[in-house]
Amino acid sequence: MDYGLIFLTLSPEFVLAVAAMAVMGLDLTVLKGTSRIYRMTAAAGVMAIGIFTAILLLQYYVKDASFPLGMLVQNPLNLLVKKVILFVALTIGLLATEVRFTRNVGEYYALLMLATIGMMLLVSTENLLLLFVALELTSLSLYVLAGYNERSRESAEAGMKYFLFGGMSAAFLLFGFSYLYGLGGTLDLGSLGLALSAHAADPLLSVALILVVIGFGFKLAAVPFHFWAPDTYQGAPIASTMLIGSASKVAGGYAFLKLLLIGFGAGGWSGSGETITGWAPLLALIAVLSMVFGNLAALAQTSVRRLLGYSAVAHAGYLLLGFFGSESDAYHSVVFYLTVYALTTVGAFGVIAAVQGKGRDLTLRDFAGFSRKSPEMALCLLVFILSLAGIPPLAGFAGKFYLFAAALKSDPGHMGMLAAVSIGVVMSAVSLYYYLQLLKQVFVADPIGPVLRVKAGFLGRSMILLLAFCVITLGCAPGIFLDLITGAVISVSR
Amino acid sequence: MSVSEPNTAFLWTIPALPLLPLLVAAVLAVYEPKDRRKASLWAIGALGTVFAFSLLALIGLASKGAGRMVLNFTWFEFGSTSLRLGWVLDPLSGIMLVMITFVGTLIFIFSTGYMSEDGNYRKFFCYLSLFAAAMLGLVISNNLLMLFICWELVGLASYLLIGFWYHKPEAAAAAKKAFITTRIGDLGLFLGMLWLYSETGTLLFYDGGNGCLEQSALSAMVAKSTLLGMTVSTAVSLLIFCGAIGKSGQVPLHVWLPDAMEGPTPVSALIHAATMVAAGVFLMARVYPLISIAPEGVAVSGGLQVMAWVGAATALFGSLVAIGQFDIKRILAYSTVAQLGYMFMGLAVGGVAVGMFHLITHAFFKALLFLGAGSVIHGCHHEQDIRKMGGLRKRMLITYVTYAVGMVSLAGLPGFAGFWSKDEILHSAWSWPVSTWPFWIGLFGAFLTAFYMTRQMAYVFFGDYRGGENEPHESPINMWAPLAILAASSCLIGLAGTPFIPLFQSFLDQAPVHNHWHWSVLGFWIVSMSVVAAGLATGWWFYGVETPKRSTDPDELEARFPKAFGLFAARLHVDEFYRDSVLRLPGWLSGVAAWLDRKVFAAAVGAGAYAVLILAWLSRFADEYLVNPGFDKGCAETRRGARFLARLQNGQVQEYLRVIGAALALFILVLAMGNK
Repeated sequence: MDYGLIFLTLSPEFVLAVAAMAVMGLDLTVLKGTSRIYRMTAAAGVMAIGIFTAILLLQYYVKDASFPLGMLVQNPLNLLVKKVILFVALTIGLLATEVRFTRNVGEYYALLMLATIGMMLLVSTENLLLLFVALELTSLSLYVLAGYNERSRESAEAGMKYFLFGGMSAAFLLFGFSYLYGLGGTLDLGSLGLALSAHAADPLLSVALILVVIGFGFKLAAVPFHFWAPDTYQGAPIASTMLIGSASKVAGGYAFLKLLLIGFGAGGWSGSGETITGWAPLLALIAVLSMVFGNLAALAQTSVRRLLGYSAVAHAGYLLLGFFGSESDAYHSVVFYLTVYALTTVGAFGVIAAVQGKGRDLTLRDFAGFSRKSPEMALCLLVFILSLAGIPPLAGFAGKFYLFAAALKSDPGHMGMLAAVSIGVVMSAVSLYYYLQLLKQVFVADPIGPVLRVKAGFLGRSMILLLAFCVITLGCAPGIFLDLITGAVISVSR
Repeated sequence: MSVSEPNTAFLWTIPALPLLPLLVAAVLAVYEPKDRRKASLWAIGALGTVFAFSLLALIGLASKGAGRMVLNFTWFEFGSTSLRLGWVLDPLSGIMLVMITFVGTLIFIFSTGYMSEDGNYRKFFCYLSLFAAAMLGLVISNNLLMLFICWELVGLASYLLIGFWYHKPEAAAAAKKAFITTRIGDLGLFLGMLWLYSETGTLLFYDGGNGCLEQSALSAMVAKSTLLGMTVSTAVSLLIFCGAIGKSGQVPLHVWLPDAMEGPTPVSALIHAATMVAAGVFLMARVYPLISIAPEGVAVSGGLQVMAWVGAATALFGSLVAIGQFDIKRILAYSTVAQLGYMFMGLAVGGVAVGMFHLITHAFFKALLFLGAGSVIHGCHHEQDIRKMGGLRKRMLITYVTYAVGMVSLAGLPGFAGFWSKDEILHSAWSWPVSTWPFWIGLFGAFLTAFYMTRQMAYVFFGDYRGGENEPHESPINMWAPLAILAASSCLIGLAGTPFIPLFQSFLDQAPVHNHWHWSVLGFWIVSMSVVAAGLATGWWFYGVETPKRSTDPDELEARFPKAFGLFAARLHVDEFYRDSVLRLPGWLSGVAAWLDRKVFAAAVGAGAYAVLILAWLSRFADEYLVNPGFDKGCAETRRGARFLARLQNGQVQEYLRVIGAALALFILVLAMGNK
């Protein structure tokens, strides 16, 4: 085995790991005793340098490669998704400087980067064992981050719930993997797909599939594995919520798609009509449940973060619809949607972070009169929220459009997908109600008591503006990003 | 003509040209600067900058000898279908860019004086900038859809600006008329666009061999025939020509253009003389490959024949009607209609270069004439009737001199811009294989043009002032300076396209410059010069020798030929004809609809209201005695159910985890059932 090549391929991850160690080391030695803002800025700076280097390495240095047993696969599509994850992590890290939620600055950034490394590995492996390890590396970092605010009971509770729920589903996932290994006799997804087609009718395969779906359903917060989401979104420190709600979704969703398309055979749905693995009806059920439950439950929420938590459940449902497209459509729509969703979510939480500081949980009513105090942040919030609701010309519309279209195209003759997409469309209309409730408070309602003030400084504001710009651009000209995906997908499809 | 590759990187900057004025329009739409002069300053600055860059682009294009540079990109894509937009920089769009921005900047500057007392100063510049942005976007589009979007946007800007003084009922009506009349033509354009798309599968003009104006698509379309034995290419191009007829005020959709003069005069100069109305000519020049392609054995395609006849008819019609008008701007408006007819005729009989050359020269001298008219109107305290002017030669010297330059350019006196371009059209018309009638009509039109312009000059600038007490005054410098610049360029621009060194034509056709001079040209010159001289002389004999003394004096021509003059003055009764024919049906239908609304539907609604009242009474009864008790019970049940749901999400992790287990069992059941 060529170790030099391994190092080359993993150099971005390696750089991040070094940066993580450096942040921790610096924080414990040189910066000890200095003011928190100073430490925060320094740590964010090191993180930014690390991520920038990693992005540059991905862009110019890392070559396509594939290692035995699918341990590590570096292809243009994986690279693209990794870059998206890195960019999202970077914005989160920079936005976090505005929140000042903890004294343990170094560890926060170190954990952020470790989670990012986990996500990058998750994206680039096609091996069951490494998939699990990468998933755990991500999850363990996120558990700690969710309970990071040691002086807040809610944060501790959020972390605990997330951990217990995650641990449980990880156990299911591992159990499922063991069945898969038992059936296929290999850990490599590619050969697993071939091997499993011989066991199409095996009930054990169905059980294994369900176990795997539970494991990833937890990551995506799809019904009925969503219970952690509202509590964690609400209770965890907002800097952690952003990561859990965006980058982690990107990595998890993409890995899940690859697992299904490669491991369970792309023909599972669209090919012969005979569903060899039967993941389609299962996923359709989960998608519909998520869209219905997430949107209906969000209607009753008063806490903004909890509302976004339920909206995340609904979005997991939309996302799963994209899985039914043909291989190329599925990659296109899912990668595009995940990117758009991550940017939008970080932006929406970024605005909340910018006004919240380290303060209490915000209700809808707290936002009354917000636009009069800070029109530009209110406008950004409008962009993010309308994008989540899927209003053209914002990116969320394009994303949802591609998902629905991919699902519809996969199954022109049958009514099943049409029904699922119709539910999606109807539920989008329902979601508009609670999204507009928030915007109504922001733009229309008269303030009661003191109006929210933006506490974030120049850096935070400019990150939010940048994200809003991205959301508008991707909405008006989705072609810019789709061309990148198309180029990558063409080189990947086998 | 090939798509040239070298150094196309700067093409990325081309969309900035329309975006800059658009930005100004957007800012002015929401933000009111404290000093209102700032609004005009921004607009002028933006358009001036765009002018500088357009000039650079044109010089770059000319010096490189590059034919056509296109940049296409995917706007929207799904699966194998994609919508691609793009922009194109070629001699055609380059020349238009420079003309629009140059004339536009001067007109913007003129407006600072003309509109200085208007209450909606900022709004005016906002609309003007919007117009400029849309017009520039139209010119650079490499996609018929994008062109159509901008086409509608200039229509919108035109509507807003014609109705700028919307408190005047005539202005509001004129705006509506312009919008609706052009919409009729646009319907044709839209259908043509759809047909083109269904035939070729693309709306990109040029796309490295796959565009709808390129060889493969064209030969496919010319090979197919459709209704009445037309080729598809002819049918599509005729539909597109409908749009041009509407936009460029050609017979029979010309009726809106003279009425559009209700807008402020700078608007008439910019939109209804120099740029927007010429967009139809530009569109036909853009799709020239489509309209001109003819099947084997046919010399001139059907599309071009129609275009030539429409142009000739309009040239004759506009020139005749212009004779009988008394409003200074309406004379110019009918003259514009006629000149646009010349342009279409030139396109049809002589090709892109001939038509476009007249478009460009016309843009300069007609903008000059309109601005001059604006200066006159401004000086005469918003009087537009030429019978109430007179003798302004002494009172407004600069306006007089510049107006005279515009007038002789339009009339086609040798050496001035209009001479070169009009003569080329006539020359090409003479050798048109189909018929020489357009030539004779054009020649007669030239006579009429010289005649009515002399009449106008005599009425406005010679004799004694007939306007009463208020003495007219010369306009301020920010109004006469643009006039002077335009007058100078009107003299010079013609030199770019003389038969000796036809720079303009060879640049457009991408052919090497060579001398077109031939002794036969001299013959044409003599003919056209004598026709123009005859027109000038007749005009002077009628109006110049003895100018009218009082504003109530009858027109000289009216005194001699009352019947003919009455016909011209009434614009050949076209408006009345439309009112009594085409508009009858909608009028009758709306009467029927009104009657239905008032009698039938009102009765139905009334009956419905009573029915609802009765129902409401019944329902109240049912509510109080039947539903309410049941509803209370239902609510109690729902609350109990909600408590159950709340228990699901009660924060107890154990419960949550149990759900996972339950889900596992449930899903296995589902799959087991489903796999059967």
